[in-house]
Amino acid sequence: MSGEVTTDLIIRAEHLTLRFGGVVSLRDVSIDMRRGEILAVIGPNGAGKTSLFNSLSGVYQPQEGSITFMAHDATALSVIGKKAHQIAQAGVSRTFQASRLFSALSVFENIKIGAESHRGIGLVGALVKGPGTRRGDHQSDEVVIDLLTFVGLTREANLIASQLSYGARRRLEIARALATEPEVILLDEPAAGTNPSEKLELANLIRRVRDERGVSVLLIEHDMKLVMSLAERLYVLNFGSVIAEGSPEEVRANPVVIDAYLGSSHEETKA
Amino acid sequence: MFSPANLKRLFMILIIVGVVAVMTGTPGSSSAPPTTGVHGSFLERVSWFGLFVAPRWLLFLTFGVIIWLVVSLYRPRARMIRRRVDTVFALPKAFTAKKSTRVALMVLALVVVLVLPKFVHESFWMYLIVEQIGVYVLLALGLNVVVGFAGLLDLGFAAFYAIGAYTTAWLTGALPAPALFHHPIPILWVIPIGIAAAMVFGVLLGTPTLRLRGDYLAIVTLGFALIIDDFVETQSGVTGGGVGSSLISHPALDLGFWHYRWGISPTPYYYLCLLFIVVFIVVFTSLEHSRIGRAWVAIREDEVAAESVGINPLKYKVMAFAVGAASGGFGGVMSAGLVGIINPALFTYQVSVNVLVLVIFGGMGSIWGVALGACVIQAVTSYLDNYQPWGYQINDLYMYIGALLIIMMIFRPAGLLPSRRRAREFAAAKGDEQVHTDEVLTGDQP
Repeated sequence: MSGEVTTDLIIRAEHLTLRFGGVVSLRDVSIDMRRGEILAVIGPNGAGKTSLFNSLSGVYQPQEGSITFMAHDATALSVIGKKAHQIAQAGVSRTFQASRLFSALSVFENIKIGAESHRGIGLVGALVKGPGTRRGDHQSDEVVIDLLTFVGLTREANLIASQLSYGARRRLEIARALATEPEVILLDEPAAGTNPSEKLELANLIRRVRDERGVSVLLIEHDMKLVMSLAERLYVLNFGSVIAEGSPEEVRANPVVIDAYLGSSHEETKA
Repeated sequence: MFSPANLKRLFMILIIVGVVAVMTGTPGSSSAPPTTGVHGSFLERVSWFGLFVAPRWLLFLTFGVIIWLVVSLYRPRARMIRRRVDTVFALPKAFTAKKSTRVALMVLALVVVLVLPKFVHESFWMYLIVEQIGVYVLLALGLNVVVGFAGLLDLGFAAFYAIGAYTTAWLTGALPAPALFHHPIPILWVIPIGIAAAMVFGVLLGTPTLRLRGDYLAIVTLGFALIIDDFVETQSGVTGGGVGSSLISHPALDLGFWHYRWGISPTPYYYLCLLFIVVFIVVFTSLEHSRIGRAWVAIREDEVAAESVGINPLKYKVMAFAVGAASGGFGGVMSAGLVGIINPALFTYQVSVNVLVLVIFGGMGSIWGVALGACVIQAVTSYLDNYQPWGYQINDLYMYIGALLIIMMIFRPAGLLPSRRRAREFAAAKGDEQVHTDEVLTGDQP
């Protein structure tokens, strides 16, 4: 894969603890993500993977710990305490476990909302369609067309999102997330519910997101085959704590992981 | 014919017919014993177009059985009938599919409303058209931005109406409260100020409350309306209390070279109102198709997803509140200028509900639907109130409107002229493939 994984960090989460009443969802979780890598978080159900994503994207506010996002212009953003839309505007984009598209809007409009909403617009700008507004509109359209080609939905551009197949929806969600021009994209089980050929397509797409767009990818995935072939590094969560970290080979060989997580499916992944 | 399902249907039809009989029967009163209502609804002998005289229960029973027979006989062909009904319902949509037809329809509508005063000779009716239809179209258009575009349930929209009206009264020196300027200012200059005041209140109310979602927001807006209502009712030193004010002057336009004064005749108000309705329709339409409109749809459909692409929900919701309040506020200015009288009774909770009914009936999110829906309901209501045909009682109005809404929700849930997007949302909600619960967000949370 890409041989030029730079070592500078893009996201650093330290000692995150997230509780819901008495339930501890994340316990002292620390994660470093390098710029330009494809990083995966795996773990059994209830391990806290989605909680981690929701903390990174501002949907949840962890009670302890810190999250820093290092943008390419070398400004460091402290994520905790920020609203979800501020984090999205700063350059951290995400998808959801079950796709949350704007289902009554067309494919085109779905991406367009992503392309334009991280730029501000006033009431007057929207009403008096001056050259500035029109130029912005035109730029958004170009971003949308570019992304439609990128994810291969050009022919479906005018379909309503709810008419798409499951795999196409997942690709649309990735396109919408990319439309915000992020530096990191968080993919929450992008291959859930897709068939094997769609899965292959998605894996390809995710690799291209990093290679062609230069966007760092953090993903949660249950499909071991997919994770092992895609991710360059893995974190393994169990009961809200990180139990292992390393390359796919290292994780696969880690006895703690085998005990806690892979269990019987260990044989399967080796095959 | 007498299968259990068919007998069940007969039973249901008879219940509905019974309810209709009660609805159309003589009203009871607090002084009369409760049996009068039953007596008047069922036992009274009525003439059937002079053909024969029969007790009402017999008449309604016959109706019910006839309906049952018709339904039972046509049941096997129900699918075909349904398809035909669908075709008829789809006609307007197919008809307006072409842009040229739509433009032609708009021009036609504009011509009709422009020449309407030529055909309404009684100034009483002209007056009603402005006060009951024009103003309510303005209110419905404003609420449509809030409820239809941004998906925020606002149960207190009358508050903005009141703010527009009371601002007018205050600035023209018709309130006990000391006027802002030494000389009362002409009402026409009040229009921008009234609109601005309503918008400011929209922002003031919206900023703290729009963090709430759904039902909670509805309750807060209801509270806001009740506060405004109570304020104008009790602060007689400021607002004139329950009596209100009856001194509001008629608007005048003074451009130096041209001077015009609105007077008693309602026709000039009609054109003023029409002008602003057109302006608001143009502004709202262009907003709907702008980036802001798309942000509203995104928030309405899925606030969490909207946030994930960088939309600040609070900002756009407050914007929707302020924009909607603008036309509500203008409705208030218009109404105060035309009638010259304001009092708290004009801005009750009932008005808020009324306007919401217009929006739901016309089609949430559909500007033309809402405008048409407001015209239809308000015209029918005004007619019923003033002519009282077929033994109609004013008190029964909401009973009929309630029934109308129930029927609408069953057969045409997206409204009279549904917005395309909204119609799709309803269609999507019917299919069970959409998973849009918060479970999705929390993922594998315990």
